[in-house]
Amino acid sequence: MNELSAPSPAFGEEPAIALTRTPAFEARLKRRYAAEKRFRFFGLAAIVFSLAVLLFLLVTMTMNGIGGFQRATLTVPIRFSQAEITLPPETDSLGVAIRSLEDQGLPEFIEAETARSLGEEASRQLSPDAWRVVAEQLIDEPSMLRREVELDLPTSKNLSAALAGDGHADLQPLARSLAEQGVLAKRFDPGFLSRSDATDSQLAGIWGALKGSILTMLVTLALAFPIGVLAALYLEEYAPRNRWTDLIEVSINNLAAVPSIIFGLLGLAVFLWLFPNLRSAPLIGGMTLALMTMPVIVISGRNAVKAVPPSIRAGAMALGASPIQVVFHHVLPLALPGILTGTIIGMARALGETAPLLMIGMRAFVATPPDGFTDPATVLPVQIFLWSDEIDRGFVERTSAAIIVLLLFLLVMNGIAIYLRNRFEKTW
Amino acid sequence: MVTELTPNTEPKMRARDVSVFYGDKKAVDSVSIDIHTDYVTAFIGPSGCGKSTFLRSFNRMNDTIGAARVEGCIELDGEDIYKSGMDVVQLRARVGMVFQKPNPFPKSIYENIAYGPRIHGFAQGKAELDEIVERSLRRAGLWEEVKDRLSDSGTALSGGQQQRLCIARAIAVEPEVILMDEPASALDPIATAKIEELIDELRGRYAIIIVTHSMQQAARVSQRTAFFHLGHLVEYGETSQIFTTPREQRTQDYITGRYG
Repeated sequence: MNELSAPSPAFGEEPAIALTRTPAFEARLKRRYAAEKRFRFFGLAAIVFSLAVLLFLLVTMTMNGIGGFQRATLTVPIRFSQAEITLPPETDSLGVAIRSLEDQGLPEFIEAETARSLGEEASRQLSPDAWRVVAEQLIDEPSMLRREVELDLPTSKNLSAALAGDGHADLQPLARSLAEQGVLAKRFDPGFLSRSDATDSQLAGIWGALKGSILTMLVTLALAFPIGVLAALYLEEYAPRNRWTDLIEVSINNLAAVPSIIFGLLGLAVFLWLFPNLRSAPLIGGMTLALMTMPVIVISGRNAVKAVPPSIRAGAMALGASPIQVVFHHVLPLALPGILTGTIIGMARALGETAPLLMIGMRAFVATPPDGFTDPATVLPVQIFLWSDEIDRGFVERTSAAIIVLLLFLLVMNGIAIYLRNRFEKTW
Repeated sequence: MVTELTPNTEPKMRARDVSVFYGDKKAVDSVSIDIHTDYVTAFIGPSGCGKSTFLRSFNRMNDTIGAARVEGCIELDGEDIYKSGMDVVQLRARVGMVFQKPNPFPKSIYENIAYGPRIHGFAQGKAELDEIVERSLRRAGLWEEVKDRLSDSGTALSGGQQQRLCIARAIAVEPEVILMDEPASALDPIATAKIEELIDELRGRYAIIIVTHSMQQAARVSQRTAFFHLGHLVEYGETSQIFTTPREQRTQDYITGRYG
């Protein structure tokens, strides 16, 4: 004990004052505090900087994207009482009903009504699909047929561009005058979330790509999660430590670092060779992305399994639990939060992936949402990529809106995963 | 070396020339010992003397360490537990264990106790399981303290309560032998006293082996004491004899505090 409380002779003569009270010591102490302050300042600055960048991204995205959730519409009073139109029976499917209305001359009637109230020139600038909007509303609410109603009808993309101040110069006076009358304006377009891709930016929607993404992610999760977790459990709990398992470990780590487009080529060469009829299908897309996600889940899963305290395993084993009971009753539940964290990261990466899906044909123009896992589909990031390539200015805003939808989807997906993780989190 | 005592029954467990290796290192060197249900047996000795390793070979927990290898023979009711075809799961249900650090499962108190009986299918229905849980907790002297909060997490208990919970968890499987690996070394004196009281109450119902660092504890709870040194069983006899008139010089040196 004596060696600790008094300075040892190796420090020289017994000092007049204790070593910890010399001016040199106090100067050193000051420098230590200064270093700490500096470190805290830099840390805080880093966080402020990242928050600022995030905020900038979100604000610009929202500003640009809000326009994408709107479209230019003309407010047209329509006297249905003047129309010689009878509604098809309610038993008809939507498609049949709409076709029946088309055959009865609804498109021409709508155009005539527009020409009557807004002029011949304006009626030519209605979107070619404007009558569909009317048809759908009619089928929804048959009582309209006996009244005069004001409907917001989409304009052509040229008039929409003119309203924004560019596009054809000869349309701009018309756009200005209609806007001054208050009949032409950009209005919220709920259909953006329920329509699919179209060549006309006024008619394009995100639902097809969103549904494609949901289906693809379901396939990815259904394949990558169980396979990844089982692989992680086997490697940690059962596999012997030898050259082969070392080789497998290195391979999995490398697999996680392989550029995603290589997985696309693999999907093209293997999955599409096996199932040539499923080009562009969410099933194939999901399988390809699962290949990419699985190594991430295996790596995080192994770390999570490794972090389960050995004392819990020993406790269960000493009670006579069989190895599989130890794994499924104790190790897996305790490792689940960690596994879910890895799954979030892997799935988020898969959701944002474009390159591998281009290789397996998910970049096709798909105008109808997929009905199942084997229908041709596209996904959100590919849709964004395709739209960002369009010349039509209307697609610029649609692109930003699609990005917002993608980010919201990501947020929802991660929210669910974090909720699950917190539910399973346990302390020991 | 087999130390003959005067047992009035057949030994519950019998170890003959047991050696345990970690890789090339011999941790336990041909130890033979008899364990009876009538009394508590204490293993004492300085750190690294192999007493814990030897204890863990009684329920084959050494199997879980890849590099460990056991030679010799350990019998439970005359049956070699290392013979091929021996069911380790069944063995561990018959030979329970309590560890140095309390290791309750991160589940409710009820689930901690019910887990063993449930995986072995001891209880038909909830009522029977409730009964087992209550009986085990009562036997471990924990019932009065936790009966109103059985659904609380086992990890929320104090250290001493956690250790008694682990003992109750071991009892719930109705083992024949309970191995205790320094069960009180992580606990304060009051909690230690409770554990020692509990061990005394459990004596006779189960064959108990306790590994301990503390010679006072061995003297308080055990009737037989085995002194280990460098992997050898130096001396085995009645606790009172070991502590008052040890036959071996090394035992004498250890219990009088000359090393250890």
